[in-house]
Amino acid sequence: MSWKKDEDTDELGALLHLDRSTVLQEARVFNETPIRPRQSRILLAKIIFLLYRGETMSTTEATELFFSITKLFQSKDMSLRQMVYLAIKELSTISEDVIMVTSSLMKDMQPKSEVTYRANAIRALCKIVDPSMLPGIERFLKAAIVERSPSIASAALVSSLHLFGDAKDVVRRWGNEVNEALNGKSLSQGSSFFGASTNQNQVVSTSNIVQYHAMGLMYAIRQHDRMAVLKLVQTFSGQNKGSWMGGSAATLRSNMAHVLLIRYAVRVMDDDPSLAPQLSTLLEEWVRHRSDMVSLEAARAICHLRNVTSKQLTPAVNALQLFLSSPKATVRFAAIRTLNALARTNPEAVQPCNVDMEGLITDSNRSVATFAITTLLKTGNEASVDRLMKQMQGFMAEISDEFKIIVAEAVRSLCRKFPGKHSLFLGFLSGVLRDEGGYEFKRSAIEAIVDLAKNVPECKETALAHLCEFIEDCEFTKLSVRVLHFLGEEGPHTARPTVYIRHIYNRVVLENAVVRAAAVNALAKFGASTVGDASLQRSVRVLLKRCLDDRDDEVRDRAAWALRMTGDESVRDKYIRDDSTFALAVLERKLVEYCADPGAALKGSFNFDNVPRISRAQEVEARDRQRQETMDAVLTGTTLKTPTSSKAAAGKGDLSADTAHDAGASSGFVDIFEQQAKYASQLNAIPELAAFGEQPLVSSQTPAALTEAETEYGVQCIKHVYSNHIVFQFDITNTIPEQVLEQVEVAMEPEEDIDGVLQPVVVVPISELKCNEPATAYVAFEHLDPETFPAVSFACTLKFIVKECDPATGEPEEDDDGFEDEYSLEAAEINAGDFMQATYIPDSHALWESLGEDAQSVETFALSNFDSIKECTEKVVELLGMCPLEGALTPKSKAAHQAVLTGKWLGKSKAVARARMTYQKGAGVTMELAVRCEEPSVSELVVSAIA
Amino acid sequence: MASVIKAILDWLRSLFWKEEMELTLVGLQNSGKTTLVNVIASGQFTEDMIPTVGFNMRKVTKGNVTMKLWDIGGQPRFRSMWERYCRGVNAIVFVIDAADHAKLDQARAELWSLLEKPQLANIPVLVLGNKNDLEEALSVEQLIEAMNLQAINTREVACYSISAKNQVNIDITLKWLIGHSSSASAS
Repeated sequence: MSWKKDEDTDELGALLHLDRSTVLQEARVFNETPIRPRQSRILLAKIIFLLYRGETMSTTEATELFFSITKLFQSKDMSLRQMVYLAIKELSTISEDVIMVTSSLMKDMQPKSEVTYRANAIRALCKIVDPSMLPGIERFLKAAIVERSPSIASAALVSSLHLFGDAKDVVRRWGNEVNEALNGKSLSQGSSFFGASTNQNQVVSTSNIVQYHAMGLMYAIRQHDRMAVLKLVQTFSGQNKGSWMGGSAATLRSNMAHVLLIRYAVRVMDDDPSLAPQLSTLLEEWVRHRSDMVSLEAARAICHLRNVTSKQLTPAVNALQLFLSSPKATVRFAAIRTLNALARTNPEAVQPCNVDMEGLITDSNRSVATFAITTLLKTGNEASVDRLMKQMQGFMAEISDEFKIIVAEAVRSLCRKFPGKHSLFLGFLSGVLRDEGGYEFKRSAIEAIVDLAKNVPECKETALAHLCEFIEDCEFTKLSVRVLHFLGEEGPHTARPTVYIRHIYNRVVLENAVVRAAAVNALAKFGASTVGDASLQRSVRVLLKRCLDDRDDEVRDRAAWALRMTGDESVRDKYIRDDSTFALAVLERKLVEYCADPGAALKGSFNFDNVPRISRAQEVEARDRQRQETMDAVLTGTTLKTPTSSKAAAGKGDLSADTAHDAGASSGFVDIFEQQAKYASQLNAIPELAAFGEQPLVSSQTPAALTEAETEYGVQCIKHVYSNHIVFQFDITNTIPEQVLEQVEVAMEPEEDIDGVLQPVVVVPISELKCNEPATAYVAFEHLDPETFPAVSFACTLKFIVKECDPATGEPEEDDDGFEDEYSLEAAEINAGDFMQATYIPDSHALWESLGEDAQSVETFALSNFDSIKECTEKVVELLGMCPLEGALTPKSKAAHQAVLTGKWLGKSKAVARARMTYQKGAGVTMELAVRCEEPSVSELVVSAIA
Repeated sequence: MASVIKAILDWLRSLFWKEEMELTLVGLQNSGKTTLVNVIASGQFTEDMIPTVGFNMRKVTKGNVTMKLWDIGGQPRFRSMWERYCRGVNAIVFVIDAADHAKLDQARAELWSLLEKPQLANIPVLVLGNKNDLEEALSVEQLIEAMNLQAINTREVACYSISAKNQVNIDITLKWLIGHSSSASAS
């Protein structure tokens, strides 16, 4: 504060050459008597500067420093004290015994000290306090939250938000105070009482920051209580002024608080779709808010809503359109970014803005211009593409890599939209590949070209030529490998494969081992191709033989393998024409487990049979989906997106949901394998269950709910089949905050006689179940007769001991012994479908033929209760527990359909099911189900699952 | 001769300039350190005190001497930090709850372990038996016996029985403390 100008610059210059040991030496200044405020203050600044610069301090050094600094509390110099607070905050994480300053800070935050002291002391105090001491200062913090001075209230609110992570229960008790700060009651009261004393109001901020901070804390406290959040949103909705909150018209003075409110409203809508209509009207209203910030946020929220209708979008897009011509670059940027994200899903909705966006192409802000062009590319028609691409080429060199990636992505989706323009796009992409750029950008450009080559056959040869040119001078090993792989896949099917072979072999000569190995693989693909003539294959073999002299083991190995394989037709087909692949997530987990277990190598080599297989198409879909999600994250750049997308992914696992189109279903399968891997590790954590086997042969794909939604307790059942055991896994959630359940277990009563087939062996209870902390109980049966597969239903009852508890802390009351209680659940069933593992089997047709009619079991069903074939197919898939092949879930005609499903019985015997269905209005669906399995007896069982 | 002149100069200086001294108050929890500081500073006794977490710093001016009082928390977790705040002070004040017989052994152990620290050698120590308004409080003689103060022979030690509540013997305590300010000890 009192630094003079010239000294100031001197000091700053000196800061650049600071070093830790000198500063620590100088720290003796702190111990001098009398205190030298100015020197001490500068030294503190140096320490903080060092810490900010990333310098690390040992605990001893920091502690020593910290205690010297505590001596400075004797000085009354205000700016020195402020620096002391800052230094304490910085050292609080490194030094030991920081609680030493608690009393001193508490003294400073008392109402009788200066405002500047109080706010800063509160912030510092909350950094050093540990949760056990919180009750001691609770009273002061509560008072500070409702303090009239914004800086103090803000400090208290923000500090509470930080404390919330460690001491949720304590902070939750401050709800009333926070609410008061949020509604600004104290402020209005204060001005009426103390309105006359103007000298007290010197530090009055007009930003209403307190409300913003209070809003954040309020949400943190209430976030798990959906009704409370809804109420929070409604309170400030402005719709029902006066009716809520006992006549006080709650208004949002802070725009930032309003933005937060919008985000919370969106979260409520996500959680509970039934509230969506009500809240979206609110959002629409907020779009017309006079503040840019609020209006933008509301528009953005609407654009990101799931299943948004064009009617809802119109006001939002109109508002964004107006913002496009704002004089402020930030506003333009925010608007165009939102429109860009919207254009990915709803290009028609953005079209009205085309004219305004055209104007932004020449915007002085390059980021705005890039978004404008890429958005236009998505919304525009074929005619405008040429011009836009030319525009874009003009400033590609001027924008950063992040934006280049966005451009590459835009071009990629454009390729699919306008295949006719392929030469233009290829020219553009190969052009940008020649320019400077980072890995991520080059990768997205390569992917765009690959995409184009796959989808537009006419340009395949040109695209491949561009790729060949690229790898001639490519600095990224990964990209070279990617391109070589693609050349290997596509090259053999082109008119003149020799061209590509030359490029590939160049890599063998010139590149590093990783690229050489990839090149050998690509060559092998040419060699194994049946399209080319014999002379080509001979030449490739010559090249591969040369690779046998490579200095790298991997390259030599691959070359040797390739030579062996290309020589032998039968082996060749097995490797080259395989259209399935391992579920990589599972494979990885298994390999890690195998490597981690020291005894595993003794037991034998790694068993690939346990790894489920998926089709290539499924894998590609999964990758595509992943790419979409990352791209969405990049474009929308919002944290809100995370829960939504994860939820969407979870939804895809549910086959009966409305994601029955192929992409959703197959990506769901990849998720399922990951899910099963998770189950296995959970099961293995329990010794009794781990004894049953390394992992279940089959686990249910979708949990079956045994309770209605929104009941006191939520229970989901997942079945795991081992070779000799069956385990029922119950995921139980307690939704009553006032209760803690103990000794929770599920009692299962078979409704039919299961003697000699199943025998209960283990029950794993949950020792304690707190509110909203799901836990898992298990019931295991021994499967006595491996020849019979039971179809039984069990009456389930949840048994537990209820104890009352304090909802705030979740701690049960001490003298409460609790009482036993029961809660009846819906029945859990086990049938043939539970023994079937849904696995993709490549070349199911050949299998079907080879199994022959002997292994077949056929039955015809008249299913009058289905209204469509689609519905019926989904049910069959669910009952049989098998994997639907491509097209199985998307009937082409309404009248007749054939679905092929594959799976492995107990994870071992392959089975194929063919369902032929016809539909007649009134009569329902008639289905002929034929099942062939490697074990003939199983076929019958599978068919019986339908009945 | 020189020493005489210096003494006179010091005396003159003490008339015109303020003298500064630093004191550290330690002792087990609930022995009345913070209360004593309040009594010295404001002359008033306040009943209800919350335990000191860490330390309090008070500046008190008596006559021409300004005392900086470091009042350190007495709970076990702060005892390891007493030494840091005792280094280089003019005197250490060790406060004991003379009426709490059960804690006397603990107090003695803490006092002796503090005085063993080499960094604190030669610093004068004032042992105060607080709460002598209570009936069961020990007398000065009993306290000296209990703390084994007669065994300290390498430094200056004093022991008073006081009551912060009734302000008994606060005056002689202050007199002793002022007597140990830097100028007084120099002469």
